Amino acid sequence: MIALLAIIGGGVLAAGALLPVVRVSIAPALWLQGIGLALTGLAGAIIFARGLQVGSNFRTALHPGLGVDPLTGFFLVVIAVTAIPVLVYAGGYLPGTPRSRAVTGLGGGFLLALVGAVCARDALGFLACWELMTILPATAILLAKPDVAVRRAIFEYLAITHLGGTGVWITVLVLAERGVLGGASLAGRGVLLETCIGIAALVGFGSKSGLVPLHVWLPRTHPVAPSHLSALMSGVMIKVALYGLIRVCFWWMNPAPVWMGIALLVVGAVSALSGIIAALLQRELKRLLAYSSIENVGVITLALGAAIVLAHAGAHTWAAIAFAAGLLHILNHAVMKALLFLSAGSIERATGEHRLDHLGGLLRQMPWTGAACGVGILAIAGVPPLNGFVSEWLILESLVHAGLESGGIGAIASTIALAVFAATIGLALVCFVKFGGLVLLGKPRSDGARDAVEVNHPMRVGVVALAVICVVLGAVPGLVVAPLIRLQPGGGGTSNIAGLWLPGTGSLSTLGLVAVLVVATAILVRARGPRTAPAPVWNCGQIDEPALAWTSAGFTSSLRLSMRGVLRTERTLERDDTNGIAQEVRYAQHVPNLLDHWVYHPIQRVALRLAGTARRLQSGSLPAYVGYFVGLLVVLLILARVVSG
Amino acid sequence: MTGATIIAGAVQLAGIALAPLLAGAIQQHKARLQGRVGTSALQPYRDLRRLWGKAVVQPLGTTIVYVLAPAIACAALIAALLIVPVTSAAPPFGLGHDALVLVGLLALARCVVALSSWDTASGFGLMSAGRDLTLSVVGEALLAMVLLIAALPVGSTDLRAMWLGAAGTSVWSQPAHWCGCGGMLLVVLLETGRQPIDNPDTHLELTMVHEGPLLEYAGRDLAYLQWSVAARHWIVLVLMAGLFLPHPASTSLGLTVIAIEVVALTVTLALIETIQAKMRLLRVPHLLAAGSAVALAGVASWVIGITL
Repeated sequence: MIALLAIIGGGVLAAGALLPVVRVSIAPALWLQGIGLALTGLAGAIIFARGLQVGSNFRTALHPGLGVDPLTGFFLVVIAVTAIPVLVYAGGYLPGTPRSRAVTGLGGGFLLALVGAVCARDALGFLACWELMTILPATAILLAKPDVAVRRAIFEYLAITHLGGTGVWITVLVLAERGVLGGASLAGRGVLLETCIGIAALVGFGSKSGLVPLHVWLPRTHPVAPSHLSALMSGVMIKVALYGLIRVCFWWMNPAPVWMGIALLVVGAVSALSGIIAALLQRELKRLLAYSSIENVGVITLALGAAIVLAHAGAHTWAAIAFAAGLLHILNHAVMKALLFLSAGSIERATGEHRLDHLGGLLRQMPWTGAACGVGILAIAGVPPLNGFVSEWLILESLVHAGLESGGIGAIASTIALAVFAATIGLALVCFVKFGGLVLLGKPRSDGARDAVEVNHPMRVGVVALAVICVVLGAVPGLVVAPLIRLQPGGGGTSNIAGLWLPGTGSLSTLGLVAVLVVATAILVRARGPRTAPAPVWNCGQIDEPALAWTSAGFTSSLRLSMRGVLRTERTLERDDTNGIAQEVRYAQHVPNLLDHWVYHPIQRVALRLAGTARRLQSGSLPAYVGYFVGLLVVLLILARVVSG
Repeated sequence: MTGATIIAGAVQLAGIALAPLLAGAIQQHKARLQGRVGTSALQPYRDLRRLWGKAVVQPLGTTIVYVLAPAIACAALIAALLIVPVTSAAPPFGLGHDALVLVGLLALARCVVALSSWDTASGFGLMSAGRDLTLSVVGEALLAMVLLIAALPVGSTDLRAMWLGAAGTSVWSQPAHWCGCGGMLLVVLLETGRQPIDNPDTHLELTMVHEGPLLEYAGRDLAYLQWSVAARHWIVLVLMAGLFLPHPASTSLGLTVIAIEVVALTVTLALIETIQAKMRLLRVPHLLAAGSAVALAGVASWVIGITL
């Protein structure tokens, strides 16, 4: 019955992806895709909530198989909850854009590939969906915006995810070859094999999910995509990459070695901190959001690392909670990042601006989009009582308990990770307060922002629906957390509709917090008393000059100054003096991309030099090629002689 | 519900009314230490009453964010105040007693106040809000580690359990506790906005951190925000006394000792303000980072198992 539901859902989704081939209007195709996702999501939710197992198990053999277990069910829910509002939004966003039919069809295929990747139960099916998941959005982006900058970004995306993606192929094929996919245990097969698989998985799945240092494609690709695809890529695709990592660490390598947990903590902490610092320095809407995705993937990785460290220390209850914390953050981040990318798309559409310093005042101009975007900003900044806070609280608690219950290097690593994560939360608050302030509040900073009008209805409905999901997930996280904790053995603790009651914590009573905050705020606002007539902003008596308006760089200046030793900010100050009087002062500052400078550029230089050397072989003269053939023949003959003799 | 729980709950609720007294007491001690007569410790109440009688303003071009920010900040601090137990017998008030939820609520208050500065777009408010959030980045890392240290003996982040864990004398044989004590003192200075981190007595733009966003508010809005500042004093001082200063485990005696310690802490803060000049703003993150390093050393000593 449930299997049938999922299969029908997949079929409808496939039909929705194919419909743009024959139909001129994209609306029916989007409807079909949405209905298909709703059905698979429903099937996934039932399987996830009841802990069922439908379809085939993982198999070593090569014939295709599909199946859904609670983990897959959870990811089907994540895909459906995020993608359905995105499809509603696309119904208002796509018409009128270039090649919208092709983009719709490819978008549907992309969603099908995402569903396929989490449902695949054989190595080849998984790898096929994995590759489609990379190529289909790339194609759609190129069709939607065919210009040089986009082509370059897509080239980098394909290059890095394919080079890194070899790790995925190695992992999955080796695991299939050793029979681990079919249920054989990896334990006792030697440290070397385990280490190879661990590193290959970290590189392969890490590059696709945007973990530092293989993240460089992400902030270049996500901003150039049409907004609904950015939302799906940042919200869902990078999470499906993490799904692969989760399968490897918690199923196939189970129990994963402790070094893997510490490696995940290190990679996660580095990604989280460098992602949010980079986001803080961005001046473009979608680039900022893309860097923030790197941060959040890092945060999820931290939780997974803590789960492994805790499992090794024998604290299985907290291992299960840490695992659930990571998965909850996957869901939460998918929803809020999709919300923010869609809002960014609406804002770009309404104002024609993508620079942060040229927006402003949009909460008044675009009340629906603005309010929904505001909810997303508060959620991702991690303030209670929204969903971002709940998962970040769970991850903080997981790291605290990893520090408390594991000894030795695990405890030290967890403590450093805890401090890094706490600082990351602080930085995220700065980053998104800046984002919200520059985009939604204050005065319009450009003509585009001044003349902005609210976007069409489907685009509003999409973002408002996601904002409502953020609020609901923040108020009643127990609905999701309880089945998530049960995914791992030893999962204890109770979490019901009113909050999370976990052992070793003072409990997070989400509904209690909502009640106290809402009631107290309502009373205080009512008691606010009489108002005076509207007056201009006082600003300590200063005249309100547009040129003195605060910018993105201004707000973060004290942060940048206190971190200048790390960031290596380059500043130039030029003065133009005539007759001893300064006529003009020009100030510019630039924060260099240190990773590009120190890692990628040297690699690029070496690769180009090697390519230049190799090119000399292609001389174009016939005698040279004849010489190559003769040489090859001689070598092969010698080899044949050696092997047979 | 036992008598101890009722008393503890009553003291916590009374904290909503008593919080301004702490801020007033510090100012009075400071004036005495500096050889001035100074204002009475009740001055914050007089200020609040005066503000309560005045009308609020609605600057042109502001949105609902400006209206809601003081109320939300105030509500977040009320919730935070209810979470911080004065003794281990504290009632839950439907909110629980988790240390990290407290961190989140303090962040919420900071966030909405900073957003209100963006709403009015006034330069002074934004400058201060930017500084406040900058300091809180390192401050939150430090606070998280300090709370981890306080959680070490009991293995729980329930503040009531942590309060019991810090009771008695055995905990003082752990170097981690001493490190946590030092770290917590820095957190107290940061959250209360006192010297050497911030100077609550000036509105000079070069030094101002917490005062900036308040400049655009008047009347009851300003009263909410000033109460919030006072509530931060209550929260961090009670937390410091309960988690890091010596006290007995029993409720009635413990409550008395905590009360004496909070008064002693106000004197200490006044003393620090008198003898210590304000630090350069960009040095403050370094100070807090040094505090974090000390806290990390404390955790390391626990892991290795060093005792005094």
